[in-house]
Amino acid sequence: MAEFTHPEVIVSTDWVNEHRNDPGIKLIEIDVDTQAYDAGHVPGAIGFNWQTQLQNQVRRDIINKQEFEELLGSCGVSRDDTVILFGDNNNWFAAYGFWLFKIYGHDDVRLMDGGRQKWLDEDDKELVVEKPSVTQGEYVASEPDNSLRALLPEVLNASAAGSHHLVDVRSPDEYSGKVIAPPGMSETAQRGGHIPGATSIPWLTAVAEDGSFKTADELRSIYIDEKGIGSAKRTIAYCRIGERSSHTWFVLKYLLGFEDVKNYDGSWTEYGNLIAAPIEK
Amino acid sequence: MKTTEAQPIIDRKKKVFESIFEMLPSEDNPSPLVRINRMNDSSGFPLFAKLEWMNPFGSVKDRAAWEMLRELEEKGEISSERGLVEPTSGNTGFSLAMMARTRGYSMRAVVPNKIPLEKKILLKIAGAELDVINDELCPVPGLGDGSINLAKTRAKAERHRYVLPNQYENENNVAAHLKTTGPEIWRQTDGRVTHVFLSLGTCGTVSGVSRYLREKNPDIKIIAVQPTEGHDVPGLRNISQLPATKLFDPSLIDEILEIDFEVAYTRALELCQKEGLSAGPSCGLIFEGARRIVEADKEGLGVMIFPDSIFKYTANMAKHLPFLSENTTPPQ
Repeated sequence: MAEFTHPEVIVSTDWVNEHRNDPGIKLIEIDVDTQAYDAGHVPGAIGFNWQTQLQNQVRRDIINKQEFEELLGSCGVSRDDTVILFGDNNNWFAAYGFWLFKIYGHDDVRLMDGGRQKWLDEDDKELVVEKPSVTQGEYVASEPDNSLRALLPEVLNASAAGSHHLVDVRSPDEYSGKVIAPPGMSETAQRGGHIPGATSIPWLTAVAEDGSFKTADELRSIYIDEKGIGSAKRTIAYCRIGERSSHTWFVLKYLLGFEDVKNYDGSWTEYGNLIAAPIEK
Repeated sequence: MKTTEAQPIIDRKKKVFESIFEMLPSEDNPSPLVRINRMNDSSGFPLFAKLEWMNPFGSVKDRAAWEMLRELEEKGEISSERGLVEPTSGNTGFSLAMMARTRGYSMRAVVPNKIPLEKKILLKIAGAELDVINDELCPVPGLGDGSINLAKTRAKAERHRYVLPNQYENENNVAAHLKTTGPEIWRQTDGRVTHVFLSLGTCGTVSGVSRYLREKNPDIKIIAVQPTEGHDVPGLRNISQLPATKLFDPSLIDEILEIDFEVAYTRALELCQKEGLSAGPSCGLIFEGARRIVEADKEGLGVMIFPDSIFKYTANMAKHLPFLSENTTPPQ
């Protein structure tokens, strides 16, 4: 059985349980449901709120370098730490966090495979409500690596030129335009459909029954053999607000080893609101 | 003394009870069966509604709640320091909270935001603390349900404070219906029941009733009625949502009818206005399923398990039947 291209970026729940008290290990939980961390979390884990801590609160953007440094410094995370990220909904926002850590150049960041759900379902894993005490420090980030991020002009050009694989990871109903967003979502768009030329590969295609990632062979068979997404061509993944696409970005870049793959975090809530942008249904 | 004075008049036959718990349903004290008259003109296939809102805490969930709570008491797993945490769309939570608080235990209910406001307020009136969680973002089979996960988290992180009955996995949910609902139906119909119509939520009712009645008569048809996907009928699950419950056993069901969930609301209104039954939306859906089978099968004796009444659903009714909101304020 083939291995992931970068097996070092995945750790199991058992590994985390064994190593969570090791020096230099920092556990960070990032959930869609922002109540989940407070109700109970892995002992020693810090909780990040994706809505208030990972995004600029004024303009629509990721936090900038200084904000990222302040956030990690305030949690006592240093540049040399091994950061283990995990969360609910099969690591959607944990993957978004992973993408952010890589944008700011953190070397050793990993995802706990299966995320919060797997930990919760395993009887030998403990949960606590006490938050860990942290010693504040100084974190120095790199300048943002924009090669991991697609902004609108690049997406428009890629679609027009057919130069990239565009991977739409939303549900089939969002892709087809039958719905603009999953029911009840406040972030939405004026129009439904997808970016012309995009291939529909819902994010959950990458996930096994227990919430962990499928094997390298299975992923290769789905993305490369069935869907024809080859690593020879540049790739951009998008969804609705950029978190599910982070999950697929992670799969393509780290598990399958695609060299040039970007996350379009503006995603459909940006694209589907544009005047005169081409849309396919 | 109060007890001595009250003692002589306690008589269950006269419906004078020592406590509310004596009113819980059983083979000797069944919830009523009421025949459908104007909405079913088939003389060969009468339909009877089993009015579960006549249970003391207002719904079919009294049965599972009582069975689950009694087991925790018997095992010594609940106390004044260690109360309940339970994922619920409202009815189980209300029954559990009323029972638990009356017996001196705390109760925390984890509910999805989409349940009607009436149910949230009722839970608080019953003395439950509430966790309200965001509704499913993008439902994924196998991912688990948000309410169940949060309740499990609390029970795991604070074992000293919470015990989780978990109606979605607790076999006592099935046992309750094996012990009560099944025998009640058999006795009330003198064993003549041919079809049972019910809805699917935790699947405790269908599993317990089916196991009991099929033992008595393997030919009895168990018909489950489910709303179409995207529904907002509280307490019910579409087939795509059923992996959230471990009590679902398809071998115990003869047929699953999928019915447009909007029909739940129009049929509930008709049941109120034509039959005098204050039936909630899930009853409306079940009735529609039964009506279709009556048309197809022509002969039989059907029992519909009507889970709860309309009173908690006025807001849902007004949302789906907007004319109900007309003329509710003075003319301008």
